[in-house]
Amino acid sequence: MTEVETGAGTPAVRVQDLWKAFGPSVAVAGIDLTLPAGKFIGLVGPNGAGKTTTLSMVTGLLRPDRGTVEVVGRDVWRDPVEVKSRIGVLPEGLRLFERLSGRELLAYTGRLRGLPGDEVDKRAAQLLDVLDLAGAQHKLVVDYSTGMRKKIGLAAALLHNPEVLFLDEPFEGVDPVSAQTIRGVLERYTRSGATVVFSSHVMELVESLCDWVAVIAAGRIRAQGTLADVRGDAPSLQQAFLELVGANGRDMASDLDWLGGAR
Amino acid sequence: MTTTTATLVRLKLSLLRNGLRGSKGRRAAYVTTLIVVLLVAALQLLGLIALRGNAHAATLSVILTAVLALGWAVMPLFFPSGDETLDPTRLVMLPLRPQPLVRGLLVASLVGIGPLFTLCLAVGAVISLAHGAAACVTAVLAVALALLTCVALARAVAAANIRLLTSRKGRDLAVLSGLVIAIGAQVVNFGARTLGSSGFGALDPAGDVLSWIPPASAIGAVDAVSHGAYAAGTARLALCAAALAALLHTWQRTLTRLMTSPDGSTLQAAEPTRTKRTSRGPRLLPAGRTGTVMERSLRYVWRDPKTKAAWVTSLAIGLIVPVFNALQGTGSIYFACFAAGMLGIQMYNQFGQDTSAFWMVAMTISSPRDAYVELRGRALALLTITLPYATLVTVVTTAMLGDWRALPEVLGLSFALLGAMLATGAWSSARFPYSIPQEGYKNVAPGQAGLAWISIFGGMVAAALLCAPVIAFTIWLHVSDESSATWLLLPLGTTYGAALTLAGLRLAAPRTATRLPEILTAVSKG
Ligand SMILES: Nc1ncnc2c1ncn2[C@@H]1O[C@H](COP(=O)(O)OP(=O)(O)O)[C@@H](O)[C@H]1O
Ligand SMILES: [Mg+2]
Repeated sequence: MTEVETGAGTPAVRVQDLWKAFGPSVAVAGIDLTLPAGKFIGLVGPNGAGKTTTLSMVTGLLRPDRGTVEVVGRDVWRDPVEVKSRIGVLPEGLRLFERLSGRELLAYTGRLRGLPGDEVDKRAAQLLDVLDLAGAQHKLVVDYSTGMRKKIGLAAALLHNPEVLFLDEPFEGVDPVSAQTIRGVLERYTRSGATVVFSSHVMELVESLCDWVAVIAAGRIRAQGTLADVRGDAPSLQQAFLELVGANGRDMASDLDWLGGAR
Repeated sequence: MTTTTATLVRLKLSLLRNGLRGSKGRRAAYVTTLIVVLLVAALQLLGLIALRGNAHAATLSVILTAVLALGWAVMPLFFPSGDETLDPTRLVMLPLRPQPLVRGLLVASLVGIGPLFTLCLAVGAVISLAHGAAACVTAVLAVALALLTCVALARAVAAANIRLLTSRKGRDLAVLSGLVIAIGAQVVNFGARTLGSSGFGALDPAGDVLSWIPPASAIGAVDAVSHGAYAAGTARLALCAAALAALLHTWQRTLTRLMTSPDGSTLQAAEPTRTKRTSRGPRLLPAGRTGTVMERSLRYVWRDPKTKAAWVTSLAIGLIVPVFNALQGTGSIYFACFAAGMLGIQMYNQFGQDTSAFWMVAMTISSPRDAYVELRGRALALLTITLPYATLVTVVTTAMLGDWRALPEVLGLSFALLGAMLATGAWSSARFPYSIPQEGYKNVAPGQAGLAWISIFGGMVAAALLCAPVIAFTIWLHVSDESSATWLLLPLGTTYGAALTLAGLRLAAPRTATRLPEILTAVSKG
């Protein structure tokens, strides 16, 4: 890939008018999104907001009903050869080949990606080391804990040194130690100029990690920009988010007056 | 109906409905299955009614009921059937007592195609047998008892099977269940042969015995009462009722234990850590994607319980059918082709075997060429097992029958068939993918059963048709007395099979490459 093709101005991801409905329910309702390259980007929204659906469509795992997706300047659906070799993905809710050991899984993924065998083995060994998985590398993935699965998935996504990394809820169900490890690897990776796009419903996490944020709710983008822009005058991203989706200050006291009352 | 029962029935109905919603193909497949089953059931009903008064009516009705009951017992072990029903392990969280739960699940199990078919058969059987008022009363009881016993039998076996599958030892044991089907097939085969050689009369002794075995004994009771043997009739009916009670009791006990003990995932995590291997030694497999895909496929044959079970079943049946037939002295050497056919089935639903982990494959396929190499790798992995095995089975069968002259011919036919199965398998993997749920004992997700059957049986019929030229040539050689030239079939059949496989892969590859998201969605259900 040359400088000319993906000049500094080319966004990592450009999404236009993206739609997806599952039967009668619309999961993604016309998303327009431009994510700059080289940033740590958070896609944040409550459960069911459409994060997974959006990321699946952006990475070519789910066919959109309408709309275009460009990753590093190439159309995901028309130019899969160029796109698939440049992205790494850690989806949510999909399995891995769990009857392989961690090490075998990496060896398999790397070779499917077309990397030379000894290079794959070298990178796999380093990734396993950095991610604290060296001790479990010969265990079958089916016996891994949630945190270990996320880490081995991350290793598989990083193996071919992608330009853009898509992670769906990478910290969900992960213990603090593993979370810190994942964080360290990701921060190092973005410092090299690569782009990380990750989804989360935990505002504090996004606030502490990202320098660019897109807020999604009910299948629409409510705000996008640098963290400071999106946060605006609000004291925290959480507050800003609640204001954006209009859920702030909802009075629950009267609805649940029986709760904790006389039994 | 109690609330629990009503809720479970409603839950089952909505599960069925949801399984069908969304995909037109799946709905079409389901409706097709439904229509075919209904047609067969109706024909059977009419046939049985027409049999009324026939001397062998009792024998036939009883045997049909027994065979159907056997089907109910075996089905949950292998194929879809279980799929359309509620998985009790999902209900663990609910505060349900075992007794109402069992009652509710039993009633919910009565909703579906299978029970409808059974009902038709039972009604037909009693209509063909009942003569007189007392017999009619017995008949009503008999139909209810037979139907409930069949359903309870399936549920009890399924529950016991879950327990088997959730323990590691049991998982390995369950693999052997393939043998059950193989031997069952032999019994049916043998029965059919006896029938062919000596007519219905030969079955009368078997019918006499079976009319004491529940649930066929319920039908036997109607016959007994019709002949005025009230004591025998009552005893047979009571026997069936006792069997039903025993089955329900076993089922309830298994369920209670299932719901109060750790589930499969927990048990697995507690398995002792395996160390060793990964030192891959000298690589025998080709480099690049081909070898990588082959290696993964072969590892899965050994390590993935579902894949392993499917393979063991295929290997066992593929060997047992020709060898048993040869042992009985009645076998034909052409039965050896059975091995190739059975093993070729493993090429079907390749991506479904990946489960939702297929996304890892999908991320690395960006052109028809990638898809072609992927499919070819899988076919090659299959061939490393099937080719030697089919050859071995053919040689063994030939040796047992002592017909060495026919060996090249049968080998050629086997290879042609194997090639056709691989070709149709690759194509239907791309065209009709369906999920294989990993939890529990099911092999198909709700609503996808019809799709699975159509994919496999349609594929097998297509494979047979594709082989027609080779088969026709074989017949021609024999008919026109050119038997000395039958060795020609070995090179011809092999080439033809290889060409079919290549063509099948070529056809399947672009379809796979353009349908990646659809395939992923289809194999991620359940
Ligand atoms: N395969 C599917 N079938 C039907 N509905 C779906 C499917 N996937 C997602 N949805 C629905 O789409 C909406 C968005 O889901 P998702 O993208 O998973 O949200 P998030 O990842 O933000 O939690 C939800 O309402 C969800 O129920
Ligand atoms: Mg999600």
